[in-house]
Parts: sequence; structure tokens; C-alpha cells
Amino acid sequence: MSLLPAPLAPVRPAFLTRVTPVARLTAGMTWLVAAIVTLDPAVPTRLVVAAVVALVLWSGLPLRRIPGRLAPLGLAILSLTVFSILLSGSNADRSIAALVELGPIRITGPAVSAGLAIGIRVVVIGLTTLLVFGPSDPTRLADSLVQQWHAPDRFAYGTLAALRVAPILAGDWAVISAARRLRGIQPRGAVGRTRDLGDRLLVMLVSSIRRAERLALAMDARGFDSGIRRTHFRELRVGWRDLLTVAVALAVAAAALVLPR
Amino acid sequence: MKTADPGLDRGPAGVEVGASSAPPARIGPPSIRAAGLGWTYSGRTRPALQGLTFELEPGRVLLVLGPSGSGKSTLARALAGLVPHVLPGDWRGQLRIGDLDVAETPARVLGERVGLVFQDPDSQLVMTRVDDEVAFGLENRAWPRDRMQARVPEALRQVGLSGFDRRRTATLSGGEKQRLAIADVLAAQPSLLVFDEPTANLDPPGMYATLEQLAALARRREHTIVLIEHRLEAALPLADDVLLLDDEGRQLAFSRAGAVDRNAVAMLERSGAWIPHAWQGTNLSSRAASQSVDDGPGPAARQVLLEATDLQVDYPADEDGPHRALDGVSFRAMAGERTAIVGPNGSGKSTLLFALSGLRRPDRGSVRLRALAVDGELAEEMRDPSRLPAEEIAPRVGVVFQDPELGFVARTARDEVLATDRAARGRRGREGGPPPDADGVLARFGLGYLADENPFRLSQGEQRRLSLAGLVIRPPAVLLLDEPTFGLDRRGTDSVISLLNELRATGQAQLLATHDPRLLPACDRVVALDRGRIVFDGRPAQFLADPPYALAEPWRDVVVLAETTR
Repeated sequence: MSLLPAPLAPVRPAFLTRVTPVARLTAGMTWLVAAIVTLDPAVPTRLVVAAVVALVLWSGLPLRRIPGRLAPLGLAILSLTVFSILLSGSNADRSIAALVELGPIRITGPAVSAGLAIGIRVVVIGLTTLLVFGPSDPTRLADSLVQQWHAPDRFAYGTLAALRVAPILAGDWAVISAARRLRGIQPRGAVGRTRDLGDRLLVMLVSSIRRAERLALAMDARGFDSGIRRTHFRELRVGWRDLLTVAVALAVAAAALVLPR
Repeated sequence: MKTADPGLDRGPAGVEVGASSAPPARIGPPSIRAAGLGWTYSGRTRPALQGLTFELEPGRVLLVLGPSGSGKSTLARALAGLVPHVLPGDWRGQLRIGDLDVAETPARVLGERVGLVFQDPDSQLVMTRVDDEVAFGLENRAWPRDRMQARVPEALRQVGLSGFDRRRTATLSGGEKQRLAIADVLAAQPSLLVFDEPTANLDPPGMYATLEQLAALARRREHTIVLIEHRLEAALPLADDVLLLDDEGRQLAFSRAGAVDRNAVAMLERSGAWIPHAWQGTNLSSRAASQSVDDGPGPAARQVLLEATDLQVDYPADEDGPHRALDGVSFRAMAGERTAIVGPNGSGKSTLLFALSGLRRPDRGSVRLRALAVDGELAEEMRDPSRLPAEEIAPRVGVVFQDPELGFVARTARDEVLATDRAARGRRGREGGPPPDADGVLARFGLGYLADENPFRLSQGEQRRLSLAGLVIRPPAVLLLDEPTFGLDRRGTDSVISLLNELRATGQAQLLATHDPRLLPACDRVVALDRGRIVFDGRPAQFLADPPYALAEPWRDVVVLAETTR
């Protein structure tokens, strides 16, 4: 039963699908740093434009499904922006002219621009994450982390196995919650709800530990982490695409930072 | 499946393999020798295995039979070296695989000789893509890349999954996943293969494909094979030898499959295990007795308790496009009626249970449920469960999920039995009357001594019974069960059926989604689903005599079985 949407995966070969994950990770980092180091909303705005261009031209991802995937993030961004505007300190500064004044609510120009700057940064983070993780499956990232950044096997592949089990756990959670409803258990009030959530989490914890134990045993049975240095089925070499990706990302980040408004 | 007389058509297999053009790394199938083998998991007082002493010749197929708790899985783990090298506990006696002493050989070395396939495909696949999955074990054993690249497609071809290399493992069916798990172990070219209930989680087509795969491996005689499998009618013909264990992990017999001691079989049956019907004498009919038609529907019968009309359920599109799980399903359940819902995985069984219990609102169509009246009179009109608050759902419909653990709502067995009643009383203030007799219910379900125990600490069979016991006080009018006999031995299955009989006496309508053909004779009606549509609706006997096209092949063994138990 599919309770979670299918992961967003490339539907056609594209430039970024052939770039090793750690190169995409490095490239993405440059954008995140650029988006965070300045308060000027122009910088993240330029990066958003660059990210959209990259998604459309080089990610290979199904474009029609991207807005749907980003919708929950969009809601978060919207509320974050609104609250940042409402709660900005400059609203209280009577020396700045108000754009809006509605009873106790007073909103100034600097508050709006600061709020928008925060919101648009989160958009950069969302789109960059999509560019980094979207174009290849998590296995490639684990391979890449182990082969190129020498991350420990147990960490990288253990996390990978956990990731594979995640949708199954989501199904378990639905069953746990349904079971309580069907027994007529309907928590009331904040205390009741909190206690109910705690009970459900406990069941979830016990059952996911059991699942993890079974999976760990199966991995051990196949010789995982038995002291031999693992070989790799799929070789990941740093190639011109990787270097180009990092170089271009760096150039875009620099341009976004230094270009005059 | 296997035609030749076992054991006569081959010499010492090790010699043969050495003489052939097989890769030099390949070692001939080993013998297995156990002498006084025993194991107690740390923290337990009762041994999981005790005093196993047998000698299996190289290249033979051993079928292990025993009830729940007989140590079958522990034996599988010992053969793979997980016991004693990964799991803690107390080891006794000796186990040798060929020239290796298991207790003294590092798990790494054993791992190169032994391949172990587990029961649940979802708990043994590691990678997200099929070719990576097969390569995982080879990477761990440091195979050079070029050999892996040659071996991975070979292993996939061996299990009939050629061309699946780039598929995501999550998109495979249960049977495909399990064949992939077999490819995983075959890839490393082990000489001993151990299968721990490899078909238990599979639907009939998946089970059939996996058993075919086992049969093919058994015929090739390249491996020594140890098989733990409860689909005995299909498994027994593959076996050269059998090992019988009792419920305390003791050896009842080790012998040729065709010459089993009748006393040992009788003891095996008394211990609660499934028995192949070829071994059943005329007096061994305890199972059929408990499944025979009970008192039948009570006075409330012929009342419609559930009515589903033209149900359609769609799941969001994935890479295979939009998915219609139910497509125009209409169906009624009457008071006192027990219906089996069968069909391959993905045919819509689980979705139907979710829709009927109001957990998933259908995209089209409607579900109406009636609460069961106390005096044979149905006062209330029928309601849509997806629009009702929890307190009004509980009297109408209950669900026993496949994994009972996920359904537990309390910290002790006693509270679990009382939970529905407590929730109902809690809402109506201090409702009068003494509290219900929870301990009495537990005692009737054979759980009396566990009243204060945490539900999570019970065995699989006990958990299943507790999940039913929780539905006895204030029973729902309609009971939906997802694979209610999953993983149970004969004794466990029998007790579930008699508990269901007890619940049905209240006039309850019961719907069982199941892959277990042995349950069908205990039902009044069979509804078969295929790709979201009802393809059969009728009596069990009719279904078994002439199963609908898509299901015919996998259910064939069952027809024989049903005839012998009738």
C-alpha cells in the first residue's frame, strides 16, 4: 500500500544524473553558504532563478511533479515569511513609516524585506536540496560518501537500509493509529492527546527496533562489516562533469553575491 | 515437482564439481553433522535447541518440521554462524559443516560457504536497486569488480529475474522480492543453502514461484539444502531427509523422508506442528474436527451488517502511473457469516479492509455498517464508518492486523482485553455495572497466566490470541482480519479458528483476508479479488474445485488438501 508518494526520481537522462553525488553536494553547499551569509534578499532571489534553470535543464526530474512535492515546504515558507514580517523588530520603530497599520498591527518596509529575505532563503534551501538529492537514488550517495569521502561503511549503508525501510514504517504508523481509533479510543484534551501520542510512539519504537534487528541480522548473514575491506560494485570516479558542476555552482554563487543590484 | 528417486542419481558431489569446469572457488556441497547440539539464548532459561544429533550427507535436501518454538529458526541461524557468533547465548555440543566446526570458525568464513534466506523479504533487502542488492553480499566479501559485474546478472538469471537489474526493489512483488533474496545468496556461490520459511510472507503466486525456484535448486544437486517450510505438501516432495523437532527444541526423529517413524509423527502432531497429509493416519483428524462447521449462524442471521457499494479507491500516481486499488467492488456481509477474501498481493485485499473499516474513504461508492443489536434486533440504521467518531466505530467494526503488535493499545494483557470497554465507559461517565471479567476471557483464550504481562513480550501465537481476546468484550458487529493465521503452527491455527467460532456465536460477520488455503474450509464463503475487482464469489468447495483463472495454478495443491480434510 502506498501511503507515501513515490520518491521523486529522474525520468530521463540528464547532465546532473551523471554527476557524482558528492560533487552535487559540494556544489549545493556553495549556494547554501551564499544564501546565508548576506541579508540582502537579492542574493537568494538570484539563486532561486539559477536553481529553477538548473532543475528544468539538467536535473532530469519530472517537472510537473515538483510543485506538488514542494507544496508542504511552500506552506512552511509562507507561514515563516508572514511571522517574520509580523514579528520584526523594525515594526516597533516609530521613526520608520508604516506600510500597514491595523489596530495593534503595524508593518514597516524593512520588516517586509527582512521577512521576504528569510522566506526566499528557505526556497533556496528547498530547491538546492532537490538538485543535490533528486538526480540519483540514495544508494549512489552512500557509494559516493564511502568511496570519495571515506565515510564508514556501517554509517553509510546502515543509513541507506534505514531509508529503504522508511516507507514501511510509515505504513506501520498508520496501522498503529488506526488500531486505537477502531477500539474506540479517542483522546480528549491536550493531556490526553499527548499521552496518546506517547503510547503510539512507544509501539512504533518497539516495532521498529525489532525490524532493525531482523535487518541487521540479514546484513550480518551476508557478511556485512565482517572485517574485510569491502569492494564496490559501482565505481564512482571524479570526472570533468563533477569539476564543471562545482566550478559553475561556485561561479553562480559568487556572481549572486557580488553583482550590483 | 521432483521425479527421480532421490539419492540414487548422484555420487559424491564434491568430486563431480571438482572435475567439472566450475570456477575454482566453488566448493562441493558439504555434509552437516550435529552431535548433542544445543543452544540457549542469553537471558532465557529454556533452551531453543537441545541434543540435536544427526548426519546429513552432502548434496541432500533436508526438510525441518516442528511447531512454533521448536528451534527451527535457531538451527538455521546456527548453520549460518549467526548463532553463536553474532547472537549471544550458551552453546552446547558440536555442529560441523563439511570440515568446518561452526563454533570455532569465524562467521566470515562460514558466510562464504552458507547462504541463508529469511522469511520476510522486507527485512532482508538492503539496497534500493536490484543489481546493487545482489552485489551487496559480494562487496562485503571483497569480490573484485569485474567478477561482480559478471556474477550479478548470472545470479538474477538463475532466479528468473533477468532484466530486473535497474528496477527499484520497492516496486517488486513479494514473490519477486523473495526470489531476489535467493539471488542474493546464490550470487556468493555458497555450497550450503538454508531457507527459513521463505514463502511464509508470500501470496499464492509468489509462493508458487519461490517453491519452483527451490525445486530447481534441489534438482541441480549443487548445494546441500536445509529447508524450513510450512507449505508441506509442496515442500515434502523436494526433501530427501527430514528432521522432526518437538516444541522444546528436541529431536524427535531424523530419517529418510519416505521412511518416517510413525511414533515420531504422532509425537510431532501432538506437539502442535503441521503434518503433511501423506503422513496422516486415519485417526489423525483433530484439525478437521475443529474446523468442521460449528453451530452456524445464530438467530440474527440473514441480517445485513455491512454493505459496500461500487467501491473505488485510487492511490496517487507513482512511476508506474496512477494505481486503482479497488474498482467497482460491491458486496454485503450477513450476520454470522465468515468470508475469506483471497487474491494475489496487490489485488486490493488490504485496501478493501481499510475501506470497509472506514480508515480509507473510497474515492467513489459507499460503505455502510450496522452496529450489532443485543436482542437479535437491529435498532440502528447503517452508517458510513469513515464519518463516525471513534466511539461509534468500535461497536460496528474491528480489525485484527497482520502484525498484532501494531494493534496493541495497552501495557498489560488484562488492560488490552478491557480497552474497548474502558473507552466506552469513560465517555458515558460512570456507567453502571461491574467491570467485565477480563481474567475469565484471558483464561478461555489460554492466556490466563499472562494477565499482567506486557503484550509485546508474548510469543507470536500468544499475541495473535490476545489480539482476538481484545475483541471479546463489546465485540464489533463486523470483524476484519488480515492474515489471521500468519506464522502459526497447527495448534495456533486451530485455536484461532475456535476463537473465531466463539465470536461468531454473537452474530458477528467475519471477513478474513488470507493467503492460507487451509483456512478456506472453515469459511462459509470465498470472495476472490484480482486487480481490484471481484472475480469470484461463492462457496469454498466451489472455489477449490474450480478456482478463477488467475489463481488456478497456485491453489492446485490446496484442492488435494481440501479433499482429504473434508
